[in-house]
Amino acid sequence: MSSTTAQSGLARARRGVAPGGSGTAPGKRKSKLSAQATRTFFWLLLPSMVLLVLIHGYPLIYAAVQATHDGDLLQTGNFVGVQNFSTVLTSPAFWKAAQFTLWFTIVGVFGSWLVGLGLALLLRTKIPAGNTFKVLLLLPWVVPIVVSSTAWNWLVATPDSLIPALFRNLGLGTPLFLADPTLASITVMAFKVWVSFPFMMMMISAALASVDTTVYEAASMDGASRWQQFTQITLPLIARSTYISWILMTIFCVNDFPTIYLLTGGGPVNATTSLVVLAYRTVFQDFATGPGVAIAFLMTMTLVVISVILYRQIRKSSVE
Amino acid sequence: MNASSEPRRSFSRRGFLGLTAAAASVPLLAACGGGSASQGGGGGAAGTVKFWDMPWATPAYNDAAKSIAEGFSGASGSKASYQIIQWNNFYQTFSSAIASKTGPAVSTGGGFQAFQFEQQGQIAYADKVIDKLKANGQFDDFLPGVLDPFKSDKGYVAVPWQLDMRVFWYRKSLFEKANVALPTDWPSLLEAGKALKKVGAFGFTTGAGAGNNYANHSMIMMMVNNGGGVFNKDGELDLLNDRNVEAMEFVLELVSNGIVDPAAVSYTTDNMSAQWKDGKAGYGLFQVNVPQRVGDTSGDLLVADPIKGPHGDKATIVFPNNIMMYTNTPSQDASEEFLVYYLGQLKQLWQKKLMSALPVFKSITEMPEFADDPNNVKIVKDWQPIAKTFASQGSKLNANLAALDGGQALNQFSQTIITGKADAKTALQTFQSGLESVLKK
Repeated sequence: MSSTTAQSGLARARRGVAPGGSGTAPGKRKSKLSAQATRTFFWLLLPSMVLLVLIHGYPLIYAAVQATHDGDLLQTGNFVGVQNFSTVLTSPAFWKAAQFTLWFTIVGVFGSWLVGLGLALLLRTKIPAGNTFKVLLLLPWVVPIVVSSTAWNWLVATPDSLIPALFRNLGLGTPLFLADPTLASITVMAFKVWVSFPFMMMMISAALASVDTTVYEAASMDGASRWQQFTQITLPLIARSTYISWILMTIFCVNDFPTIYLLTGGGPVNATTSLVVLAYRTVFQDFATGPGVAIAFLMTMTLVVISVILYRQIRKSSVE
Repeated sequence: MNASSEPRRSFSRRGFLGLTAAAASVPLLAACGGGSASQGGGGGAAGTVKFWDMPWATPAYNDAAKSIAEGFSGASGSKASYQIIQWNNFYQTFSSAIASKTGPAVSTGGGFQAFQFEQQGQIAYADKVIDKLKANGQFDDFLPGVLDPFKSDKGYVAVPWQLDMRVFWYRKSLFEKANVALPTDWPSLLEAGKALKKVGAFGFTTGAGAGNNYANHSMIMMMVNNGGGVFNKDGELDLLNDRNVEAMEFVLELVSNGIVDPAAVSYTTDNMSAQWKDGKAGYGLFQVNVPQRVGDTSGDLLVADPIKGPHGDKATIVFPNNIMMYTNTPSQDASEEFLVYYLGQLKQLWQKKLMSALPVFKSITEMPEFADDPNNVKIVKDWQPIAKTFASQGSKLNANLAALDGGQALNQFSQTIITGKADAKTALQTFQSGLESVLKK
């Protein structure tokens, strides 16, 4: 580049003119670029927007139509307003399912978080074959749910299954893990924790990996105990990941169909029927599409509210 | 470094809410996602009859059925294509395909599916098929009473092709070990159950776990066996009749005596089969071909005699599975021609011993491949004549039966009874209320 060209380029740059440009005033140029950019962005976004509308918008609108009609999967039926919602909200089965969903979610989220946190902390220490353990611990998350639910069924279903037989041999009676309503609820929740803890472990492991170890060294020098280091350093530093994992796991738990349906089918006598199982059974077994979709709508609204609350918590933790 | 010094990630409120809404909308999508259902496949060309079939038995069955279907060659040069439809969400699969005009011309399916689609004007009546069967002699080959439930005011809604019969089975060695005679009536069933319990076996084997309808069928069977049923002769809901109450009080007596396995409420069909195979099940209601199903062909598992209720009634229940035709077809004549052809070829399926159900044609029941099994012969001779449908005491099948079979009300009722959680009248009252809320008037 010659010195003349370089000076000209610098001058143009100071005026905000691109090489080869006409030298229009910066403000006018900016608005022209902005209009062009807007058009470009629009055309670039259009395919995604069309896809989003097709994938999310159409089913949502279709579901809204079904929730306000008394039809079935083939025919829309008559408009009934919010009758399906009032039917659902006055049904004891709905509230029983809501109660189970709440417990299932609480145990699923915090149970898997606690196990995942414990294992993530354990794997952070230098233990022999740590990486092998990491891979093995991922298996519950990786194995198809149909396979793991079948395995759990064979472990606990009959009085002669492995776990009840073990209890019997230990003189603890013969617990009917899937036949007793309370035990069935506990078993399903334990299964959920077992399936989900690897996800939590991964999330927390990733968060822990980003924590600078010198912080702990400094804390040790200041005389902080291990417990103080855990509560005052580790937990705050992984708070953002923790909240995100809670939100995701809450959504996974509330929407979880196969874990429950494959293990107990929602029984015995509805003891393990969650809202999503109830919605499925209402639509596909009772062929009552309107009330079933109304249940799904109520679930979605609840999930959005919970997610927003937890999201605020994330922002709060970020500010702090 | 502290919590606040953690690098701030690109995580906007809008982006987050979008992600959350997308994830949270899963149940909605799951509940209404008709558009994603299988559209079926193969051979939608003009002149090709699309035949959809279910996995009625092992994959070998579907291979054989496909071979039969694809062997069809109509008079006008029409052909047939074959598509397997999985049982999971099958009604949704059929519904969405039919709604989008990509459904089958002919299909098997749920026992009451034809009546559901008939209500929606999607079924082509089979009267001309029946006429053709009369002409070729196959009509007279039907076992007694199997065709009648499909005749509606407007015509034949479907044509039966196999009977999914519920019969009592027993393990001979357990009865010998317990030194007790086979039940012939309810009191002797109770006595046999008590004797079997002493040798560690159960005298009323059933299951009500995930996807298992045998407890449902056992409950309805006991009602029907006592002259009761879910409906009265006019087809109206009639669960609280005295016969039903009496039948359920008897089942509760079996439960309280430990004759029903307390874990049965959670048994899947695989768990139940394992109980039969492991010698824990002494007696109970099951399907055809139990030895093959549970993997014990030693000859120790045998079909029992029908038992008499306290008022002398003898009955069991049967699900007449059927083939239906749809109005959306490249040619109604071709659909009818295909159906007549397919019914004429059914014997191959029993010849190859691929079926776990009874045939609807007498000629098939007389084939050596079928009649060589004494259990089959006993079912045809002793059980088929007393078999009634889910519509009992009514006689006509209808769309409402789909919501009864496998519906929440019946599942909950069966589980309540076999766990002994309520008395008979209370359980029946709850059952009736549950059904009333889902049955269409």
